[in-house]
Amino acid sequence: MFESFVEGVGLALRVDTYLYISVGLFLGMFVGALPGFTTLMAMAILLPVSFFLDPLLGIPFLIGVYKGGIYGGSIPAILVSMPGTGAAVATTFDGPALTKKGKGRKALEMALFASVSGDLTSDIITIAMIGPIAVVALLMGPPELAAVIFLALIVISGTSSGVFVKGLLMLAVGLFFAMVGQDPIGALSRFSFGFTSIESGIPFLPMLIGVFALPEIFIGIERKASKIIKSADLKISGARLTWAEFKSCGRTIARSTMIGTGIGVIPGVGQVVAAFMGYAAAKNASPHPEKFGKGELEGVAAAEAANNAVNGPTLVPLLTLGIPGDNLTVILIGAFIAQGLRPGPLLMEEQGPLVFAILVSMVLANILFLFIGYFCIPLFARIVTIRKSFLLPLTLVFAFAGTWVFRGQPFDLGVLVFFGAFGYIARKLHFDVTPMAMGFILGPILEYSFGQTTVLAQGNMLHYIFVERPITAVIVLGTPVLTYLMWQRSVRLRRELTKGLANENSS
Amino acid sequence: MSERINFNTVAAAFFIAFAITLFLLIPFHIDKPLIVLVGSQSNLSAELFPQMVASSFLVLGIWFFVKSFSIDQRNELRDLDREAITNVTVTLCIMAGFVLLMVNIGFVLGSAVMIAVMSTYFGNRNYYLTAVVSISIPMALFFLFRRVLLVELPPFPIDIYPLTHWSLI
Repeated sequence: MFESFVEGVGLALRVDTYLYISVGLFLGMFVGALPGFTTLMAMAILLPVSFFLDPLLGIPFLIGVYKGGIYGGSIPAILVSMPGTGAAVATTFDGPALTKKGKGRKALEMALFASVSGDLTSDIITIAMIGPIAVVALLMGPPELAAVIFLALIVISGTSSGVFVKGLLMLAVGLFFAMVGQDPIGALSRFSFGFTSIESGIPFLPMLIGVFALPEIFIGIERKASKIIKSADLKISGARLTWAEFKSCGRTIARSTMIGTGIGVIPGVGQVVAAFMGYAAAKNASPHPEKFGKGELEGVAAAEAANNAVNGPTLVPLLTLGIPGDNLTVILIGAFIAQGLRPGPLLMEEQGPLVFAILVSMVLANILFLFIGYFCIPLFARIVTIRKSFLLPLTLVFAFAGTWVFRGQPFDLGVLVFFGAFGYIARKLHFDVTPMAMGFILGPILEYSFGQTTVLAQGNMLHYIFVERPITAVIVLGTPVLTYLMWQRSVRLRRELTKGLANENSS
Repeated sequence: MSERINFNTVAAAFFIAFAITLFLLIPFHIDKPLIVLVGSQSNLSAELFPQMVASSFLVLGIWFFVKSFSIDQRNELRDLDREAITNVTVTLCIMAGFVLLMVNIGFVLGSAVMIAVMSTYFGNRNYYLTAVVSISIPMALFFLFRRVLLVELPPFPIDIYPLTHWSLI
């Protein structure tokens, strides 16, 4: 494993890798700074770009979009109290108040430095964690893999937003869509209804772009509105952040980083919860909690360090087990699959240096993150004034272009529009599409692993699982217990989040 | 407070009906293997997983049906006013039209028409800016995909001789 790491460091030292990461960071911050446009949408639309690049260019590019997008949302959050992404909601508690006091520049720079610090530290922890977990993952065979995938799907459904049974139903919908085409074991045709376009299955890229990107466009066009923010409101004023001010928030940033890192490893929780928990912890630990919510730099630092610290650890279950922990890593798994890499226990063994190269490039990307963020803040601040009447059709152009280059088939555009409408209706009826996307991607792997398990069991499944594969037995028996605990935790965290929002709004 | 029968109840009924439909479809829309190997140790036929998924729909649908009477959620589709419904419908039509335009008249022209129509519908009245944006950005994307990523978007409908012989392309 150490040799793979060393080789990976060598592979990561490529100028073009950092060029593409820079482009990704810039695009991510650009989209993150736009209220109503999410990082998820940006990643879904830019996913096809990564297909035509080398893995060491395409995947870091998408990771750059991911990182930049999470930070970019803080810019309008601080300047005009409009979070560009959900992860920046906690930043609106203190950011706008600082802007009103003439300390907008300090707030923006604190958000940047806290984000970079949290991200960098959590990326280093991710590299340290991934080796031992990958070694354990190698001990897993088909029964363990099937059990872990099943557990992950159930947990994600339970911790996604909304009612548990609705999450499970969307998971079943995803599994159904995954069955259309050929079965993964015998390649027999299923549910194609005679249409040759779906003989090989529903194309995953148009589906992903459709369910994650297009609903945002539909929600954005419900109201005709062009510019909603005047240029004058976006002037960045005030003195720069001093080293002493940054140092005084050091403990807060460290605490929030640990909170974000811990949350990043847990599937289904995410940046929003991390930001709120980081903020709440900072407020509780502060000798002057009454200052929070009235323009306290520590409040901005806490939220931003926590939400960016989630980025790295979410890759741990993805790379070691092949299980995406949230909707953003669902996009990343799509990028890996398109590159011919199958995330999972064998990835570290077969492509260890490549994986470490990607992780090392993430660590070094934080330096670029710092520079791009620092010099482009004034530009991103003005992005909010771009007219929605242009932004929305341009987003559609990107989405359609990306879908077309996947296979060059008009059918894929139809799939895109269908799933766009489906995702929009699901959202309006409070059905979360994340379990559906995960079921779609992991369903064939689950079915294949289950098939291999039945072959190995030689007709005696219970004996095989409970006597010969004790790890699988523990996972299978533990699934309902763990699901219940994670669902309870998720409900409690959301309740605290809602309470925190209500308290901040009333104060 | 939720209504006695609400949109979740209707959705649950739909899932139950879907489960039953799936059970009926499975025998007819899943191919059978031409040769069955004697002594095959795998009991996993192509129908097993679909049957498990259909069973899940049925069980979860019934659970959802029972729970739906206590779920307190608003049907946000019913909350959409006329403006929102009109805008969403128009956008869907624009998307459908864009598919046809892109395939038949090429990516650049199709995108230019779509951007012009959509931006005008959604309030833009600066036609000069519309013309600049709707032509320049699709052109830039077309060349970015072609030169940098080496992939083709639907080309111009007419093979413009000077363009295809410029060294830039």
